[in-house]
Amino acid sequence: MQGGSVRAALSTVPLRFWLALGTLVLGVLLGWLVRVITRRFLRRAGVPGAIEGTTFERTAREFGTSTVAILGAIAGYFVFGIAVFAAIAVAEIEYVAQFWNAVAGFLPQLFLAVIVLIVGVVLGDKVELVVSERFRGVKLPQVNVLPLVAKYSVFYLAALIALGQVGVATAALIVLLAAYVFALVFLGGLAFRQLLSAGAVGAYLLLHQPYTIGDEIRIGEVRGIVQEMDLFVTHVEAEDEEYVLPNDKVFADGFARVRT
Amino acid sequence: MATLRDSLGDLVADVDGLFLFSPSASHYERFDDVDVTRVVIAAENGVGADAFVELPLGFENVRDRIKFGVEGAMDRGFVTAGDTVACSLAMFGDDADTVVRMRVDESVRSGIYDLFIDSRAEPGVVRDVFEVAIDLGKKGQKGKPVGALFVVGDAGKVMNKSRPLSYNPFEKSHVHVGDPIVNVMLKEFSRLDGAFVVSDSGKIVSAYRYLEPSAEGVDIPKGLGARHMAGGAITRDTNAIAIVLSESDGMVRAFKGGDLLLEIDPEEY
Repeated sequence: MQGGSVRAALSTVPLRFWLALGTLVLGVLLGWLVRVITRRFLRRAGVPGAIEGTTFERTAREFGTSTVAILGAIAGYFVFGIAVFAAIAVAEIEYVAQFWNAVAGFLPQLFLAVIVLIVGVVLGDKVELVVSERFRGVKLPQVNVLPLVAKYSVFYLAALIALGQVGVATAALIVLLAAYVFALVFLGGLAFRQLLSAGAVGAYLLLHQPYTIGDEIRIGEVRGIVQEMDLFVTHVEAEDEEYVLPNDKVFADGFARVRT
Repeated sequence: MATLRDSLGDLVADVDGLFLFSPSASHYERFDDVDVTRVVIAAENGVGADAFVELPLGFENVRDRIKFGVEGAMDRGFVTAGDTVACSLAMFGDDADTVVRMRVDESVRSGIYDLFIDSRAEPGVVRDVFEVAIDLGKKGQKGKPVGALFVVGDAGKVMNKSRPLSYNPFEKSHVHVGDPIVNVMLKEFSRLDGAFVVSDSGKIVSAYRYLEPSAEGVDIPKGLGARHMAGGAITRDTNAIAIVLSESDGMVRAFKGGDLLLEIDPEEY
């Protein structure tokens, strides 16, 4: 009697609901699997070591988790979310589907936006660390601005991409970005043009070495022994004086090798 | 026991400076209230001391270590000639176990500090060449002891006072001492005779150079061979320094201005 009623109850549930339930279970399994695999993959790729010390990672640690775990969880929930929608579709719950269809289209973008944001924040922090590490030898307080500028540039880009993902109007922000990049390229080029041209000539000089350390050469008025040459400058030592000549001067004036 | 403490206390009585060699943070803080100039001499300023002298090499020889520290402190004006200082350093273990009392005066100046800091070549380059020479002395070439001669700095002049023995393997190359691959290369090339020429910024300019300085007036200890003589002499003729690894006794010696300034046993590193 008992068994018969359970069977009767079970048989009243339509098959599609069973299928939906199966899809859900499968989604949970897949989500969990994706989460584990993502974590493993990120660990293998050396992500935890690379982002150590960034603010985001430290904050995550304070909450007893880590960036890798968060990314893994997001990937897992994303897969699970897809499974939920698949289950709803399979179960053919009409009125729900109509409402959720719009959400389903939007959700992947939202997930992507969140991931872009997290990657952006971590990357920005990392860039700040790397740049400030690079400038640690320079004992100049003003230099601290550079890492911050680099960091917020990355944040800005990440935010822009994330907003673009979720379809917020970003035209004004893009104009701002264009102005920023233009300033960076144009003014940077203007400020560094001497270094750039010296570097271009230096690349030729180092590759072909028309003169080398120990040769006696004459560049313009300067005559002496080459002591040192690098990408940007050539050190020429004359009597008691060591001239440091930018490499573009070597090309502009030409040089003569003094044979003895 | 009190008498022992009293008599040993004389060692640090009335000192003008306290030199801490590679102190740990707690060891450094212990002297926070001491009313004398506190100078830290270490590879890096881990304790954030105001008066700091960077130690480029470990200097197993305690005399060399102290000399370097005292000369560095004098050079930077932490102490002046006539001061008495107490040096606390580790001789046997890693913790400070030795106290040395010494009087600072100009005669202490042996030039060890100048060798590293005041040479034409950059301090980091001098240190790197020392490390290469010590490494070479320790391991040798395929287990056999090798000799090597590095002329560091003033490369242009050195090149003009030497001639090639063979094709220069470093021609048109851009390797610097301290690059990871360089130790292996130098080890291979040290099999052949001749000197390595290294520029001020550490670029290896040439190998297989036969040095032709005038050896007039070079006074190096008797018993050292032609390699040391050539190395010593070239430093008199140019502003370079020479770092020589002896093939016969395995010692690393440094010359500047024609004088032997430093002797290091690679086995102790």
